[in-house]
Amino acid sequence: MAASFASRCSRVSRSLFRGLSNNSPGLFTTSHEMTCSNSFSQLQQQRTFIQMRTVLKVADNSGAKKVMCIQALKGKKGARLGDTIVASVKEAHPNGKVKKGKVVYGVVVRAAMQRGRCDGSEVKFDDNAVVLVDKQGQPIGTRVFGPVPHELRQKKHVKILTLAGHIA
Amino acid sequence: MRLEKCWFCSSTVYPGHGIQFVRNDAKIFRFCRSKCHKNFKMKRNPRKVKWTKAYRRVHGKDMTQDSTFEFERKRNKPERYDRNLAENVLKAIPKIDKIRVTREERHHKNRMKGNKVKVQKEATKELEQGISLVKAPLALQQDPSLTLPKIKVTVSQQQSQQNQPMEE
Repeated sequence: MAASFASRCSRVSRSLFRGLSNNSPGLFTTSHEMTCSNSFSQLQQQRTFIQMRTVLKVADNSGAKKVMCIQALKGKKGARLGDTIVASVKEAHPNGKVKKGKVVYGVVVRAAMQRGRCDGSEVKFDDNAVVLVDKQGQPIGTRVFGPVPHELRQKKHVKILTLAGHIA
Repeated sequence: MRLEKCWFCSSTVYPGHGIQFVRNDAKIFRFCRSKCHKNFKMKRNPRKVKWTKAYRRVHGKDMTQDSTFEFERKRNKPERYDRNLAENVLKAIPKIDKIRVTREERHHKNRMKGNKVKVQKEATKELEQGISLVKAPLALQQDPSLTLPKIKVTVSQQQSQQNQPMEE
Protein backbone atom coordinates (compact mmCIF):
# COMPACT_ATOMS: atom_id res chain seq x y z
CA MET A 1 0.00 0.00 0.00
CA ALA A 2 2.76 2.39 0.94
CA ALA A 3 4.69 1.49 -2.16
CA SER A 4 1.75 2.18 -4.43
CA PHE A 5 1.09 5.49 -2.66
CA ALA A 6 4.74 6.44 -3.04
CA SER A 7 4.71 5.47 -6.70
CA ARG A 8 1.57 7.50 -7.19
CA CYS A 9 3.15 10.51 -5.48
CA SER A 10 6.22 10.20 -7.64
CA ARG A 11 4.02 9.79 -10.67
CA VAL A 12 2.18 13.03 -9.86
CA SER A 13 5.38 14.96 -9.29
CA ARG A 14 7.12 13.49 -12.32
CA SER A 15 4.13 13.98 -14.57
CA LEU A 16 3.74 17.59 -13.44
CA PHE A 17 7.35 18.19 -14.36
CA ARG A 18 6.87 16.48 -17.65
CA GLY A 19 3.73 18.49 -18.28
CA LEU A 20 5.60 21.71 -17.61
CA SER A 21 8.48 20.70 -19.81
CA ASN A 22 6.05 19.75 -22.54
CA ASN A 23 4.49 23.17 -22.43
CA SER A 24 7.85 24.79 -23.11
CA PRO A 25 8.26 25.70 -26.78
CA GLY A 26 9.71 22.82 -28.72
CA LEU A 27 9.32 21.29 -32.12
CA PHE A 28 5.89 19.93 -31.24
CA THR A 29 3.83 22.53 -29.44
CA THR A 30 0.48 22.22 -27.75
CA SER A 31 -1.29 21.39 -30.99
CA HIS A 32 -1.63 17.76 -30.11
CA GLU A 33 -3.94 17.69 -27.14
CA MET A 34 -5.79 14.48 -27.40
CA THR A 35 -7.67 15.21 -24.19
CA CYS A 36 -10.23 18.01 -24.44
CA SER A 37 -8.42 21.16 -23.39
CA ASN A 38 -10.05 22.10 -20.12
CA SER A 39 -9.58 25.13 -17.99
CA PHE A 40 -7.67 23.18 -15.34
CA SER A 41 -4.82 22.49 -17.80
CA GLN A 42 -2.40 23.82 -15.22
CA LEU A 43 -3.61 21.36 -12.60
CA GLN A 44 -4.38 18.35 -14.81
CA GLN A 45 -1.53 16.70 -16.59
CA GLN A 46 -1.74 16.80 -20.35
CA ARG A 47 -0.56 13.45 -21.51
CA THR A 48 1.07 13.79 -24.89
CA PHE A 49 2.96 11.72 -27.38
CA ILE A 50 6.42 10.31 -26.91
CA GLN A 51 8.65 12.60 -28.91
CA MET A 52 12.24 13.71 -29.16
CA ARG A 53 13.86 14.20 -25.73
CA THR A 54 11.26 12.12 -23.93
CA VAL A 55 12.90 10.02 -21.25
CA LEU A 56 11.45 6.57 -20.90
CA LYS A 57 11.96 3.79 -18.44
CA VAL A 58 13.33 0.52 -19.72
CA ALA A 59 11.09 -2.40 -18.84
CA ASP A 60 13.43 -5.28 -19.56
CA ASN A 61 16.74 -6.66 -18.42
CA SER A 62 18.81 -5.58 -21.40
CA GLY A 63 21.07 -3.47 -19.17
CA ALA A 64 19.73 0.00 -19.82
CA LYS A 65 17.70 1.86 -17.23
CA LYS A 66 16.66 5.08 -18.95
CA VAL A 67 16.57 5.97 -22.61
CA MET A 68 15.84 9.23 -24.31
CA CYS A 69 13.79 9.18 -27.48
CA ILE A 70 15.57 10.50 -30.54
CA GLN A 71 13.02 9.78 -33.18
CA ALA A 72 9.53 8.35 -33.33
CA LEU A 73 9.31 6.13 -36.39
CA LYS A 74 5.82 6.48 -37.85
CA GLY A 75 3.79 9.40 -36.66
CA LYS A 76 4.27 13.07 -37.29
CA LYS A 77 3.45 14.14 -33.76
CA GLY A 78 5.17 11.39 -31.89
CA ALA A 79 4.97 7.79 -30.79
CA ARG A 80 2.16 6.20 -28.85
CA LEU A 81 1.50 2.91 -27.16
CA GLY A 82 2.82 0.08 -29.28
CA ASP A 83 4.96 2.14 -31.65
CA THR A 84 8.72 1.79 -32.14
CA ILE A 85 11.15 4.58 -31.42
CA VAL A 86 14.85 5.24 -31.86
CA ALA A 87 16.43 6.10 -28.55
CA SER A 88 19.74 6.86 -26.95
CA VAL A 89 20.69 5.10 -23.73
CA LYS A 90 21.13 7.65 -20.99
CA GLU A 91 21.52 5.40 -17.95
CA ALA A 92 22.61 1.80 -17.86
CA HIS A 93 23.58 -0.97 -15.48
CA PRO A 94 27.35 -1.37 -15.25
CA ASN A 95 27.48 -4.80 -16.86
CA GLY A 96 24.68 -5.12 -19.34
CA LYS A 97 24.20 -5.86 -22.99
CA VAL A 98 23.79 -2.19 -23.86
CA LYS A 99 26.05 0.59 -22.73
CA LYS A 100 25.43 4.24 -22.12
CA GLY A 101 25.37 6.34 -25.24
CA LYS A 102 24.30 3.57 -27.57
CA VAL A 103 21.57 4.22 -30.10
CA VAL A 104 18.88 1.56 -29.88
CA TYR A 105 15.41 0.81 -31.11
CA GLY A 106 12.59 0.34 -28.65
CA VAL A 107 8.93 -0.60 -28.51
CA VAL A 108 6.72 1.52 -26.28
CA VAL A 109 4.95 -0.84 -23.89
CA ARG A 110 3.51 1.66 -21.42
CA ALA A 111 2.41 5.17 -22.20
CA ALA A 112 0.80 7.73 -19.95
CA MET A 113 -1.24 8.99 -22.87
CA GLN A 114 -4.45 7.09 -23.38
CA ARG A 115 -4.85 4.97 -26.44
CA GLY A 116 -8.21 4.03 -27.88
CA ARG A 117 -9.10 0.39 -28.11
CA CYS A 118 -11.19 -1.13 -30.89
CA ASP A 119 -14.18 -1.57 -28.57
CA GLY A 120 -14.24 2.18 -27.91
CA SER A 121 -12.69 2.26 -24.45
CA GLU A 122 -9.35 3.82 -23.63
CA VAL A 123 -6.32 2.57 -21.73
CA LYS A 124 -3.63 4.51 -20.02
CA PHE A 125 -0.69 3.45 -17.92
CA ASP A 126 1.17 4.97 -15.05
CA ASP A 127 4.43 5.83 -16.80
CA ASN A 128 6.26 5.68 -20.12
CA ALA A 129 8.26 2.51 -20.60
CA VAL A 130 10.00 0.86 -23.48
CA VAL A 131 11.40 -2.56 -24.34
CA LEU A 132 14.62 -2.47 -26.35
CA VAL A 133 14.58 -4.38 -29.60
CA ASP A 134 16.94 -4.84 -32.49
CA LYS A 135 16.37 -3.79 -36.07
CA GLN A 136 14.33 -6.92 -36.77
CA GLY A 137 12.03 -6.32 -33.82
CA GLN A 138 13.28 -9.10 -31.54
CA PRO A 139 13.78 -8.01 -27.94
CA ILE A 140 17.36 -7.72 -26.72
CA GLY A 141 16.56 -8.63 -23.12
CA THR A 142 15.18 -11.88 -21.80
CA ARG A 143 12.63 -10.62 -19.29
CA VAL A 144 9.98 -7.93 -19.36
CA PHE A 145 8.81 -6.19 -16.20
CA GLY A 146 5.44 -4.71 -15.48
CA PRO A 147 2.17 -4.91 -17.38
CA VAL A 148 2.08 -4.69 -21.19
CA PRO A 149 -0.93 -4.00 -23.37
CA HIS A 150 -2.28 -6.51 -25.82
CA GLU A 151 -2.05 -3.91 -28.57
CA LEU A 152 1.40 -5.43 -29.16
CA ARG A 153 -0.18 -8.52 -30.65
CA GLN A 154 -1.59 -6.51 -33.49
CA LYS A 155 1.78 -4.87 -34.05
CA LYS A 156 3.34 -8.34 -34.29
CA HIS A 157 5.50 -8.05 -31.16
CA VAL A 158 4.49 -11.50 -30.02
CA LYS A 159 7.85 -12.23 -28.44
CA ILE A 160 7.44 -9.37 -25.97
CA LEU A 161 3.99 -10.62 -25.05
CA THR A 162 5.32 -14.08 -24.30
CA LEU A 163 7.98 -12.64 -22.03
CA ALA A 164 5.56 -10.37 -20.20
CA GLY A 165 4.27 -11.12 -16.72
CA HIS A 166 0.97 -9.32 -17.00
CA ILE A 167 -0.97 -8.44 -20.10
CA ALA A 168 -3.25 -5.50 -19.48
CA MET B 1 -17.94 -8.29 -24.55
CA ARG B 2 -18.07 -7.87 -20.84
CA LEU B 3 -19.88 -5.38 -18.67
CA GLU B 4 -17.43 -4.10 -16.09
CA LYS B 5 -18.02 -2.22 -12.86
CA CYS B 6 -16.66 1.25 -12.33
CA TRP B 7 -14.06 1.16 -9.59
CA PHE B 8 -15.27 4.37 -8.06
CA CYS B 9 -19.04 4.44 -8.24
CA SER B 10 -19.75 0.75 -8.97
CA SER B 11 -22.01 1.45 -11.91
CA THR B 12 -21.75 -0.73 -15.00
CA VAL B 13 -19.37 0.33 -17.72
CA TYR B 14 -20.78 -0.54 -21.12
CA PRO B 15 -18.52 -1.13 -24.12
CA GLY B 16 -17.29 2.08 -25.65
CA HIS B 17 -17.42 4.04 -22.44
CA GLY B 18 -14.90 5.04 -19.88
CA ILE B 19 -11.19 4.84 -19.31
CA GLN B 20 -9.09 1.98 -18.05
CA PHE B 21 -6.07 2.88 -15.97
CA VAL B 22 -3.38 0.23 -15.52
CA ARG B 23 -1.10 0.80 -12.59
CA ASN B 24 2.45 -0.50 -12.59
CA ASP B 25 1.57 -3.31 -10.21
CA ALA B 26 -0.80 -4.50 -12.97
CA LYS B 27 -3.96 -3.53 -11.09
CA ILE B 28 -6.58 -2.28 -13.52
CA PHE B 29 -8.96 0.51 -12.53
CA ARG B 30 -11.99 1.00 -14.72
CA PHE B 31 -14.00 4.19 -14.64
CA CYS B 32 -17.39 4.77 -16.13
CA ARG B 33 -16.91 8.46 -16.80
CA SER B 34 -14.50 11.28 -16.24
CA LYS B 35 -16.22 12.29 -13.00
CA CYS B 36 -15.13 9.05 -11.36
CA HIS B 37 -11.73 9.23 -13.03
CA LYS B 38 -11.08 12.74 -11.77
CA ASN B 39 -12.15 11.81 -8.27
CA PHE B 40 -9.74 8.92 -8.40
CA LYS B 41 -6.93 11.19 -9.51
CA MET B 42 -7.72 13.44 -6.55
CA LYS B 43 -7.13 10.36 -4.41
CA ARG B 44 -10.60 10.41 -2.93
CA ASN B 45 -11.75 7.33 -1.11
CA PRO B 46 -15.01 6.09 -2.64
CA ARG B 47 -16.13 4.89 0.78
CA LYS B 48 -16.29 8.51 1.87
CA VAL B 49 -17.89 10.02 -1.20
CA LYS B 50 -21.60 10.17 -0.62
CA TRP B 51 -22.99 9.34 -4.05
CA THR B 52 -21.03 6.12 -4.60
CA LYS B 53 -22.38 2.65 -4.05
CA ALA B 54 -19.41 1.88 -1.82
CA TYR B 55 -20.46 4.61 0.62
CA ARG B 56 -24.06 3.47 0.61
CA ARG B 57 -23.10 -0.11 1.33
CA VAL B 58 -20.69 0.81 4.10
CA HIS B 59 -23.20 3.12 5.78
CA GLY B 60 -26.10 0.67 5.56
CA LYS B 61 -28.16 2.65 3.08
CA ASP B 62 -28.31 -0.19 0.55
CA MET B 63 -28.50 -3.86 1.36
CA THR B 64 -25.20 -5.66 1.34
CA GLN B 65 -25.81 -9.37 1.76
CA ASP B 66 -28.35 -11.11 -0.34
CA SER B 67 -28.50 -14.35 -2.22
CA THR B 68 -29.34 -12.51 -5.45
CA PHE B 69 -25.80 -11.06 -5.45
CA GLU B 70 -24.36 -14.54 -5.67
CA PHE B 71 -25.51 -14.81 -9.27
CA GLU B 72 -23.45 -11.84 -10.34
CA ARG B 73 -20.16 -12.88 -8.79
CA LYS B 74 -17.30 -13.20 -11.19
CA ARG B 75 -16.30 -16.78 -11.77
CA ASN B 76 -12.85 -17.30 -13.18
CA LYS B 77 -13.67 -20.65 -14.71
CA PRO B 78 -15.13 -20.44 -18.22
CA GLU B 79 -18.27 -22.45 -18.82
CA ARG B 80 -18.58 -24.76 -21.76
CA TYR B 81 -21.32 -23.49 -24.00
CA ASP B 82 -24.57 -25.29 -23.53
CA ARG B 83 -27.61 -24.05 -25.39
CA ASN B 84 -30.08 -25.11 -22.72
CA LEU B 85 -28.03 -23.49 -20.00
CA ALA B 86 -27.79 -20.24 -21.93
CA GLU B 87 -31.53 -20.25 -22.58
CA ASN B 88 -32.35 -20.81 -18.91
CA VAL B 89 -29.96 -18.11 -17.84
CA LEU B 90 -31.53 -15.62 -20.22
CA LYS B 91 -34.96 -16.47 -18.83
CA ALA B 92 -33.80 -16.22 -15.24
CA ILE B 93 -32.08 -12.84 -15.46
CA PRO B 94 -35.23 -10.67 -15.44
CA LYS B 95 -36.76 -12.73 -12.64
CA ILE B 96 -33.68 -12.34 -10.49
CA ASP B 97 -33.66 -8.61 -11.19
CA LYS B 98 -37.27 -8.30 -10.09
CA ILE B 99 -36.61 -10.18 -6.86
CA ARG B 100 -33.56 -8.08 -6.13
CA VAL B 101 -35.49 -4.85 -6.69
CA THR B 102 -38.32 -5.93 -4.39
CA ARG B 103 -35.83 -6.87 -1.70
CA GLU B 104 -34.07 -3.54 -2.02
CA GLU B 105 -37.40 -1.72 -1.69
CA ARG B 106 -38.18 -3.69 1.41
CA HIS B 107 -34.80 -2.80 2.87
CA HIS B 108 -35.45 0.86 2.10
CA LYS B 109 -38.87 0.70 3.73
CA ASN B 110 -37.37 -0.88 6.84
CA ARG B 111 -34.79 1.83 6.96
CA MET B 112 -37.42 4.58 6.72
CA LYS B 113 -39.79 2.92 9.23
CA GLY B 114 -39.68 5.37 12.14
CA ASN B 115 -39.75 8.30 9.82
CA LYS B 116 -43.46 9.11 9.54
CA VAL B 117 -43.92 9.89 13.23
CA LYS B 118 -40.80 12.04 13.23
CA VAL B 119 -41.92 13.96 10.16
CA GLN B 120 -45.37 14.53 11.68
CA LYS B 121 -43.91 15.88 14.91
CA GLU B 122 -41.59 18.22 13.07
CA ALA B 123 -44.43 19.45 10.91
CA THR B 124 -46.68 20.35 13.84
CA LYS B 125 -43.84 22.17 15.56
CA GLU B 126 -43.05 24.16 12.46
CA LEU B 127 -46.73 25.04 12.03
CA GLU B 128 -46.91 26.44 15.54
CA GLN B 129 -43.72 28.43 15.34
CA GLY B 130 -43.62 29.57 11.80
CA ILE B 131 -47.25 30.32 10.93
CA SER B 132 -46.38 34.03 10.91
CA LEU B 133 -44.38 33.46 7.74
CA VAL B 134 -47.47 32.38 5.93
CA LYS B 135 -50.32 34.41 7.42
CA ALA B 136 -50.17 37.76 9.17
CA PRO B 137 -51.01 37.69 12.89
CA LEU B 138 -53.87 40.13 12.20
CA ALA B 139 -55.65 37.64 9.94
CA LEU B 140 -55.28 34.91 12.53
CA GLN B 141 -56.81 37.05 15.23
CA GLN B 142 -59.74 38.13 13.07
CA ASP B 143 -60.60 34.61 11.99
CA PRO B 144 -59.83 32.17 14.79
CA SER B 145 -60.73 29.16 12.64
CA LEU B 146 -57.45 29.46 10.78
CA THR B 147 -55.34 28.83 13.85
CA LEU B 148 -54.55 25.74 15.81
CA PRO B 149 -56.57 25.49 18.99
CA LYS B 150 -53.50 26.27 21.11
CA ILE B 151 -52.86 29.79 19.82
CA LYS B 152 -54.38 32.50 21.98
CA VAL B 153 -56.38 35.30 20.42
CA THR B 154 -55.45 38.76 21.72
CA VAL B 155 -58.14 41.26 22.68
CA SER B 156 -58.66 44.10 20.19
CA GLN B 157 -58.44 46.84 22.94
CA GLN B 158 -54.83 46.04 23.65
CA GLN B 159 -54.10 46.30 19.97
CA SER B 160 -55.36 49.92 19.67
CA GLN B 161 -53.22 50.90 22.66
CA GLN B 162 -50.20 49.37 20.97
CA ASN B 163 -50.88 51.28 17.76
CA GLN B 164 -50.76 54.76 19.37
CA PRO B 165 -47.04 54.87 20.17
CA MET B 166 -46.34 53.75 16.61
CA GLU B 167 -48.25 56.69 15.13
CA GLU B 168 -46.25 59.16 17.11
